Amino acid sequence: MAVPYQGVTVVDTTGLTGAYATRLFAGLGAEVVHLEPPQGSALRQLAPFVESVDSPENSLWWNYLAMGKRSVVLEPGDTDSLERLISQADVVFEDQLPERSGIPAELIGPSTIRTRILPFGLTGPKRGWKSSNLVAWAGSGILYTTGFTDRPPVAPAAPVQLACHAAGASALVGTLLALRARRLSGIVQNVEISMQEAALTIAPETGVPMLLDDRVHRERTGNRRDLGRPFGLYPCSDGFVSIIVLMPRHWVAMAQWVAEVTGNESITEPVFEDNAVRIEAKDLIDEWVEELTTQGTRLELFREGQRRGIPITPVNTVDALVDDPHLEAAEYWSSTDLYDGQTVTVPGAPFRTNAQWWSTSRAPFLGEHTELYIN
Amino acid sequence: MTESEEQLPLSGIKVFELGIAIASPFCGKLMAYFGADVIKIESRTSPDIVRLLGSAWLKDREELASIASDTSPYVSEMNASKRSVGLELKTDQGRATAMQVLAECDVFLANFGARALADLGFDYESVKAVKPDIVYVQLPGFGSNPGTPYYPFVAWGPNQAPLVGMDDFTGHSDDPPAGIATVAPPDYMSALHAAIATLTGLEQRDLTGEGVHVDISQFETTLALLGPFVMDYDLTGAIPSRMGNRSMWGAPQGVYPCSGTENWIAISATDEDDWRAVRTLAGNAIDQMFDDAALRMEHQDQLDEEMASWTAAFQVDDLVDRLQTLGVAAHTVSTNEDLLHDTHVMSRGWYQVADSKRLGRDVFSNCAVRLDQTPGRWTHAGPSMGQHTREVLQSFVGLSDTQIDELIDAEAAFEAIAPETVTSRPWDDWIHMFIPGVDDARDL
Repeated sequence: MAVPYQGVTVVDTTGLTGAYATRLFAGLGAEVVHLEPPQGSALRQLAPFVESVDSPENSLWWNYLAMGKRSVVLEPGDTDSLERLISQADVVFEDQLPERSGIPAELIGPSTIRTRILPFGLTGPKRGWKSSNLVAWAGSGILYTTGFTDRPPVAPAAPVQLACHAAGASALVGTLLALRARRLSGIVQNVEISMQEAALTIAPETGVPMLLDDRVHRERTGNRRDLGRPFGLYPCSDGFVSIIVLMPRHWVAMAQWVAEVTGNESITEPVFEDNAVRIEAKDLIDEWVEELTTQGTRLELFREGQRRGIPITPVNTVDALVDDPHLEAAEYWSSTDLYDGQTVTVPGAPFRTNAQWWSTSRAPFLGEHTELYIN
Repeated sequence: MTESEEQLPLSGIKVFELGIAIASPFCGKLMAYFGADVIKIESRTSPDIVRLLGSAWLKDREELASIASDTSPYVSEMNASKRSVGLELKTDQGRATAMQVLAECDVFLANFGARALADLGFDYESVKAVKPDIVYVQLPGFGSNPGTPYYPFVAWGPNQAPLVGMDDFTGHSDDPPAGIATVAPPDYMSALHAAIATLTGLEQRDLTGEGVHVDISQFETTLALLGPFVMDYDLTGAIPSRMGNRSMWGAPQGVYPCSGTENWIAISATDEDDWRAVRTLAGNAIDQMFDDAALRMEHQDQLDEEMASWTAAFQVDDLVDRLQTLGVAAHTVSTNEDLLHDTHVMSRGWYQVADSKRLGRDVFSNCAVRLDQTPGRWTHAGPSMGQHTREVLQSFVGLSDTQIDELIDAEAAFEAIAPETVTSRPWDDWIHMFIPGVDDARDL
């Protein structure tokens, strides 16, 4: 069976905001050409680097996000080659406003979809403003509410660049919708993503509809929240676990567990079955729960808590994930090759299908496919 | 149907949704915006969590207690433009009727736990039996393979984030993990992947006639965002952790205090052009040694201290303007109240108001995916629970009013509670002053 997007040609001129989108697109069969300047894409400058390999082939961000793509180097001013590539493309991904784009409108073919991922969108008073992962979160309301009360606000999982990937994934959704509209009704169009809006999408908790409803100014609450108890991160012998108890049956199991391990019978009293009472008595509940959690490791608490049907997870770091037994049993991990031929572990397909959709290959070397496309 | 309605990319597509909370409902909302007819199947015996949240202003309104399930802001936030059909899947008649609805649909979308879904008889094989070319997309926490260790495990969105490393990555380096309790990226990232998978599945079906089973394990999908860190660990054993707001790629980047209390600015000045702009504005307020990029990275504690002393003298909006004018990425660290007064966000129509059967009208977030020739549209805000039961069972299954009444009497189906009870949100009288293009309630 054919891979659904086989035969779709894509030209990618973006950096970090578009790379995840085109990585997925390539994995789903599209032919993605990453257009690079002679010194290489900006993604190639992003640490961490492979020690045994020289620039520009050593960035792990490039080696991950460019998997399955092709690299074509264009000399500045080579409009003929640019035109040949662009005019044949079904989709062009860009991260610049039209007036700053390196691709003049007249080079765009009549059936080419133009997907733009922009800091604040094509319209509005901030259209010309710059952004970054941090700045996108700042404009979402969530940055302000993340962190401890007595410390400056912090971005969610800053190193992961979530706002960039959310913008990228949204851009691919828009692009696939535009391809469908083109196939069904012949309409060719532009797709627009504002990074700020991609972050706002993930942030309804600090959005205007919630504020209008409860008129509550949201503050930072550290690593616990007063939506329930226990709710948030709890210390254990080798780090932290996350416990989210909202449902009555989860509380009953939680209280029973604490009672069995610590001998605390008070916690099983019926009065605490009311979530509102637990929130009222949150310091006491937290203290009792910590008497349990500090006695175990992340993994012990995870396994035993889940056995009891409680939503509890370990606060993991990357080493625990690579060794995780579920991911191993599910045969999740894949691998790719680096410039010097060594093999390295990478996450596998982002989802599973009973049809053969996902396939990928190592990231291209700088200009590896220039010959193929230009000369 | 108007021409523009017919040209919507998902016009004519029917989606059967068994969704709770965010992951599946958010994907369904996106599809409804672009023209799909999304049928949200709801239960009173085990309702979607958004039906339990209620609304803050309702607390003192005893007379409205019976309609609380229709009033959480999350109802519209996650379900605008969908139709709600009340069917109790744990009853034989309810399940059989749901299967008849499903037989008319193109897409099956669910984020129930994999085991719960199988127990209800809505696993892929059962659904495929009534609709062979179904595009079946499920988003369980840990995948749908019963042979894997975490298959029966339970986790809410805020549990998934720490599991995949997000919480350890959040906070200042010397603090405990701050966690990301207010935001659940795994839910939204899984939802976006579900939309991508659904569109790919429809493409395959149209081209080959074959349906597909897509299994989105939220654990695996979210982990796919951590590629470079996994590779680095495999190569060097490095275990990266939280680093506040700093960048791995340049300095300064951070959140700094401005004049007043709790007024913060976020600044990303990670390349040489950015630094020159900061220097232009800061002059001698920051040590000359920081003109060396390597020293900026090496001495970030000192650099951040000097940045903070410098920014503290400015009004936050003024400094943001000065930096952006010179091409440096910067923004106020917006509070939820700032967003209500954000002229940029409002000018782009990010907050939408649409008709609601129960509330007259309701407000919710727009869609971040914008298409310029076939833009989506919101037909209505979040539906009342069971609002569309009768019309959908009539048109999809061909049931008569009598047959529907029998299902309701048998408690296999239900319609909206007290449909005659209509109210309005407290903001109804003044919302037009904040959200452009919204009618003044006095004119309605």
